[in-house]
Amino acid sequence: MTLDASTPNGERMTLNMGPHHPATHGVLRIVVESDGEVVATCTPDHGYLHRSIEKIGECVEWPMFVPYTDRVDYVCAMNANLAYCVAAEKLLQTDPAATFTVPRRAECIRVLVAELNRISSHLVAVGAMAMDVGAYTPFLHGIAQREGVNDIFEKLCGQRLTYNYVTIGGVAFDLYDGAIDDIRRFLDQFEREMVRFNKLVTTNTIFRDRCAGVATVSAKEAVAWGLVGPNLRGSGVDFDVRRDEPYCVYGELGVQVPVGQAFAGRKGQVGDAYDRYVVRLLEIQESIRLCREVLKLLPPSAEKPNDPIGGIQADVGKLLKKPGKGEIHVRTEAPRGEMGYFLVSDGTKSLFRVRCRTGSFTAAGIFHHVMRGIFLADVVAVIGSFDVVVPEIDR
Amino acid sequence: MSGFGYAVDTFAAWLAGGEPGWLAVSVAVLAVWVLPLMLLVFPVAALGQILERKIAAAIQRRVGPNSAGLDGPLRFGFRLMLFFLPRERQDRVFKAFCNFPPVRSILLVSRRLGLGQLAADGIKMLGKEDIVPAGADGMVFRLAPYLALAGAFLPFCVVPFGQHLVMLETEVSALFAVAVSGIVVVALKMAGWGSGSKWSLLGGMRAVAQLVSYEIPIGLAVGGAVLWSGSMDLHAIVGQQYEPGVFSLLGWNALQTPFLAVLMVVFFVAGLAECQRSPFDMAEAESELVSGFNTEYSGLRWGLFAMAEYTEMLLVGALLATLFLGGYQSPIGEEWICSLAPWLEVPIHVALLGAKVVAVYLLMMWIRWTLPRYRVDQVMRLAWLVLVPLCLVSLFGIALTLLAAGGTEPGEPFGRVAARPRAALGWLGHLVGWAIPVAVGAWLVVMAKKKHGQVHPALQRLTGGRS
Repeated sequence: MTLDASTPNGERMTLNMGPHHPATHGVLRIVVESDGEVVATCTPDHGYLHRSIEKIGECVEWPMFVPYTDRVDYVCAMNANLAYCVAAEKLLQTDPAATFTVPRRAECIRVLVAELNRISSHLVAVGAMAMDVGAYTPFLHGIAQREGVNDIFEKLCGQRLTYNYVTIGGVAFDLYDGAIDDIRRFLDQFEREMVRFNKLVTTNTIFRDRCAGVATVSAKEAVAWGLVGPNLRGSGVDFDVRRDEPYCVYGELGVQVPVGQAFAGRKGQVGDAYDRYVVRLLEIQESIRLCREVLKLLPPSAEKPNDPIGGIQADVGKLLKKPGKGEIHVRTEAPRGEMGYFLVSDGTKSLFRVRCRTGSFTAAGIFHHVMRGIFLADVVAVIGSFDVVVPEIDR
Repeated sequence: MSGFGYAVDTFAAWLAGGEPGWLAVSVAVLAVWVLPLMLLVFPVAALGQILERKIAAAIQRRVGPNSAGLDGPLRFGFRLMLFFLPRERQDRVFKAFCNFPPVRSILLVSRRLGLGQLAADGIKMLGKEDIVPAGADGMVFRLAPYLALAGAFLPFCVVPFGQHLVMLETEVSALFAVAVSGIVVVALKMAGWGSGSKWSLLGGMRAVAQLVSYEIPIGLAVGGAVLWSGSMDLHAIVGQQYEPGVFSLLGWNALQTPFLAVLMVVFFVAGLAECQRSPFDMAEAESELVSGFNTEYSGLRWGLFAMAEYTEMLLVGALLATLFLGGYQSPIGEEWICSLAPWLEVPIHVALLGAKVVAVYLLMMWIRWTLPRYRVDQVMRLAWLVLVPLCLVSLFGIALTLLAAGGTEPGEPFGRVAARPRAALGWLGHLVGWAIPVAVGAWLVVMAKKKHGQVHPALQRLTGGRS
């Protein structure tokens, strides 16, 4: 639904939403020019959380950059680790002298932690969206479930937010004893919990009416504006890096990709806020399935850590001391969409250039386009539906 | 007769020991009107905040306030009482008192319930800096919270708490309650405008638009009860609902015709909107407008707004009970209770009204912590396209029912309320009167579900159903 902002004398009010506003999830600043309750123009202003992460990447050695990737998107640090490490491995492998392969067990563990982190990241996304629309309780229920994932990760690598777990060539630690049981138990109770969550929020009439038909992005627009991940799929574009350009063991898992189909019924359109929201929930379901599948593929642990099947870490130490020259762009599917790393190596210990392409950045780019002519109350719902995480925009 | 109501008159006459003078009347007004309001409504509204925090915590699987007990206020009391002793001695006495087993367990329970939060919050609010923003319109800004509180309190004057407990008895008390609560609209507008902040301005605008719209369904719902009872006097409306016999709840308005039951629901929903409660809390929507009209308020002034909100919740509960749920009457055995001596009857009746108010209160909290918030246009659409037509249909239905009853029969006299004629429906009439509207309503609901109720298969799968 789009309204016309047309006061006779062009009298408009400039509202400074953020950088300190309860709904902008951190330090996003949006300058809204409004005509009463209707938004006339909307200009996002970024840069409040800029930490020069890409520049840091040029100053540290290859493996030392992994902890910084945690901070690119701290809501899904595993996926951010993974994106960089996969890119770095591909770049190393362009050198004909490099003969390593990442052990299969490590690849399976990577998929496992990435999918678990996708679950916890989407929980924050859907919970925060419900909170922006005015329901505070679902957010806390989502956070409570996220704690389950955090507990598993804490036992796995000692951290609850920034994991620094995936390394170039494998993962830092093997699964702890009883990890598989923990994960299975979590998935079982989590699946039941999500049903309750969806009954509480997703099918709630008020919630559906609030999000239906708001900030619709057509498939053509979504592609043109470079949306990625759930935002792209919410518009009905059937694309997922995990399925279409598989990395790790995703190729063997048969990833099912949910797309937006005007879930809200007659009031909704394909690509509205509700579709983006529901696509995230469907992805959570898919992630639960993938976790269970990958547990079946997981080979038993081997004695030697660099064993090509049961090991967890390939020997890349020598290569990293003297890597070959080259450049590469590799994309992976993070919860907020494609996370691509463009790496240029000049043959020294540190990379010549690190460039990170993130989903929130392009999502924030479309704000001024979709937020024209919507209600002020919907601005926050739209921010929530695109699920932007500010550090990912600024880096 | 001083014109200040039955309770004031009796009390003043008792004070003066004959025909009361102006002094006795003033004292009586203070004692009968102001004091109970301060003593009853204020603490209950404050307790409501603790209750709300506990309920929110339970819904969100948290613990809620669980540390602040009554130790602090108690220690303060000991300090005051034993001011002549040195500090260590005071503390020793206090410690000995706290270790006394029954006291200890009470303190423990109070801590688990977070009762001390009441005192802690109050002191915190008192201690906060009282800020008037530079761009604010000083007087308007300062006056607004008092007006909001006055608008929330004044209607309590006409709410009957018991057979002998009405502060102001007038022939038009229903109208008075609706009219006086309109002061809140002005107060919120003043707060929004006077703050000199854009968020406040937007919040104030939203509040006024919403409150003015929802006063119409509220007025119509009250009108329905008035039409049925044939009186605008709230006490008379309560008296009208009196039914002798064991099951005295059969006389309650909400159970008379389905139209009155519908009006009760409308009154509740519109009442939610009047108190700016979720799902209609768009005037103070924290995720959109920071805090809406009270963004710029701090300390005690903010506290007054919060108190006004909780008082208004109490008011909606009290009016809902009075108009539709038999007021202070008991659901069973009212005949027996109202024949008791006043010193026994008054507390029972006040407690019964209190129970009904608390039930409404809890329902409001449950809704608040469950539902998302409506958007501006949806709030307006609900008022004008759903609630007002429902009210009109119900009013029409009530009128038809009254017409179909074809006459009136004398009701029972209730306490000081004289007997009033009521519609002569008989048990068959009641049955038909319920059956037809319920059948039509159910048919409409089923048809609407058939037409618009399809849920996308993906959503069915998400909620655990088969896809």
